[in-house]
Amino acid sequence: MNTTRQPLISPKWSESLTGYLFILPTLIGFAIFILYPILESIRISFLDFNILRDSEYIGLENYIEIFEDKRVATVYSNTFVFTIFAVFFNAGVGLLLAVALNRRMPTFIRNLYRSIFFFPLLVAHTYIAVIWQFLYHRDLGVLNYYLSLVGVAAIPWLSQGNWAMVAIIIMDVWKNTGFAMLVFLAGLQNIPNEFYESAQLDGANGRQVFFRITLPLLSPTIFFILVIFMIGALQVFDTIQVLTRGGPGDSTRSVVMYIYEKAFQRFDMGYAAAVSMTLFAIILVLTLIQFRIGRRWVHYE
Amino acid sequence: MTSQQGSITQARISGMRRPSRKPFRPGDVITYLVLTVAAILVVMPLLWMFSTSLRPIAESLQLPPAWLPTDWRFENYREPFESNVPFVQLFVNSIQITASVTVGQLITCSLAGYAFARLRFPGRDIIFLLLLASLMVPGQVTVIPIYLSMVSLGLMDNPLAIILPGLISVFGVFLMRQFFKTMPQELLDAARVDGAGQLRVFLQIAVPLSGASLATLAIITFNATWNSYFNALIFLKSWDKMTLPQGIAMLTGYMGAGNASVVMAAVTMAILPVLIVFIVAQRWIIEALTRTGIKG
Repeated sequence: MNTTRQPLISPKWSESLTGYLFILPTLIGFAIFILYPILESIRISFLDFNILRDSEYIGLENYIEIFEDKRVATVYSNTFVFTIFAVFFNAGVGLLLAVALNRRMPTFIRNLYRSIFFFPLLVAHTYIAVIWQFLYHRDLGVLNYYLSLVGVAAIPWLSQGNWAMVAIIIMDVWKNTGFAMLVFLAGLQNIPNEFYESAQLDGANGRQVFFRITLPLLSPTIFFILVIFMIGALQVFDTIQVLTRGGPGDSTRSVVMYIYEKAFQRFDMGYAAAVSMTLFAIILVLTLIQFRIGRRWVHYE
Repeated sequence: MTSQQGSITQARISGMRRPSRKPFRPGDVITYLVLTVAAILVVMPLLWMFSTSLRPIAESLQLPPAWLPTDWRFENYREPFESNVPFVQLFVNSIQITASVTVGQLITCSLAGYAFARLRFPGRDIIFLLLLASLMVPGQVTVIPIYLSMVSLGLMDNPLAIILPGLISVFGVFLMRQFFKTMPQELLDAARVDGAGQLRVFLQIAVPLSGASLATLAIITFNATWNSYFNALIFLKSWDKMTLPQGIAMLTGYMGAGNASVVMAAVTMAILPVLIVFIVAQRWIIEALTRTGIKG
């Protein structure tokens, strides 16, 4: 530290130097654990990778194999089904709860509800899945018990493909919809009051206010939530890994679970890297769309 | 936010078709019904977890379920510690990794965030943009080369394999930069006039003034690391190195469905630190999540 009256180097230089020193730890970590792995992953995706002997450069073969691999089609279709339903219900339920919470009510009641809806967000997917595993049990589970009371035959929640997917989606909405609620509530509270006042002068009813004012003005927030949830859902892993391990068969296996299996259980890293690149490409496109459209929608005042 | 909230509510009230101050509108019934049903659905699995954790093992899966605890068998909470699963070790491992990563990120992210927000140096904006762009890359892309590096460094089955990549965070840098940008320049200038060096301005002015922001970053990092599963699954293999989520995920298979009480006792203990943080710092977490748009 230089506190003398006449510094040895000019203040401008010292500021630059400090700047570089301050970002140095981050830059080193970034180079080693983000930048290099990205480039290396691209390189590996062109290799017939073998952890024991030398890997061989095979051009686009891994990428060609992706299109011929039936399991890739399966895991992508599973992931898309999960993504569509999970995003729809997370956003839908979240919006419903936010609209309800935005109505007139005592603040402490609003905060109490908000805390309850929000808490599952903080609990690890793993723990949630462990709890729900018991609730979903075919013969001893709480869910089937209550369904049997209303005459529904025992549902094979985790042992039949389509039901397993339904089970995963329900659990995901239970855990994550609180986040959508939180962001929607903030969005609703940011809608300028004048819009409601002029609607009131025009004699609009509640439904008209919601569909003509609230929803359009909330559209940037809705869009943001849709994209954020889509990016998250496309990378789903923890919940399914614990709840069904991708089964029965491959019926709930997600893309990331497939990457995990190929890379870390079969050690076919070249192929796994190539599959991860396809996921990267999809997420990249989504992010860029959000960036462009989001910027256009931000100024709505 | 609160004042605006108030005025919106005002508008709603005055927007009623009948301007009389009716204490209860028909819509309110539906509102509270929706909210209460949703709240019950959210709470029930957690309540089931807690009351099951206190039930005798033989009755742990009894039907109809008793939602409130019927017994208070706290012995169940001792069971995970006495089983073949090294439960204490799992806790210690998770604490070690979470604490290292959180402290590391507080240092690296506040330094870099301050530099990007407050210092001028050539290439600053381009470097920042490069960092930001990397946020688009999903973790599955980087994990394979990191795995290979850890293998060649002999760091497999070693907490360092998770701690080292966790010491920096582009998201954290972004968060801290946004916070430091809002800090009044006069405060920093005053110290500069007094002849303080950049490092001293940072340590003695900027850091003490950003307690809330540092706490926010700490909470987000703590929660994400405490709950992280994917990386642990890849890098940690032996029982005495595993983290809590990893261990508990294996516990279910290990103990079988019949031992729900003990498994739920273990899960309750694993969730406890998160619950405590939630109660203490709820306002910060909610504000930070709303503002930055990340999920836990």
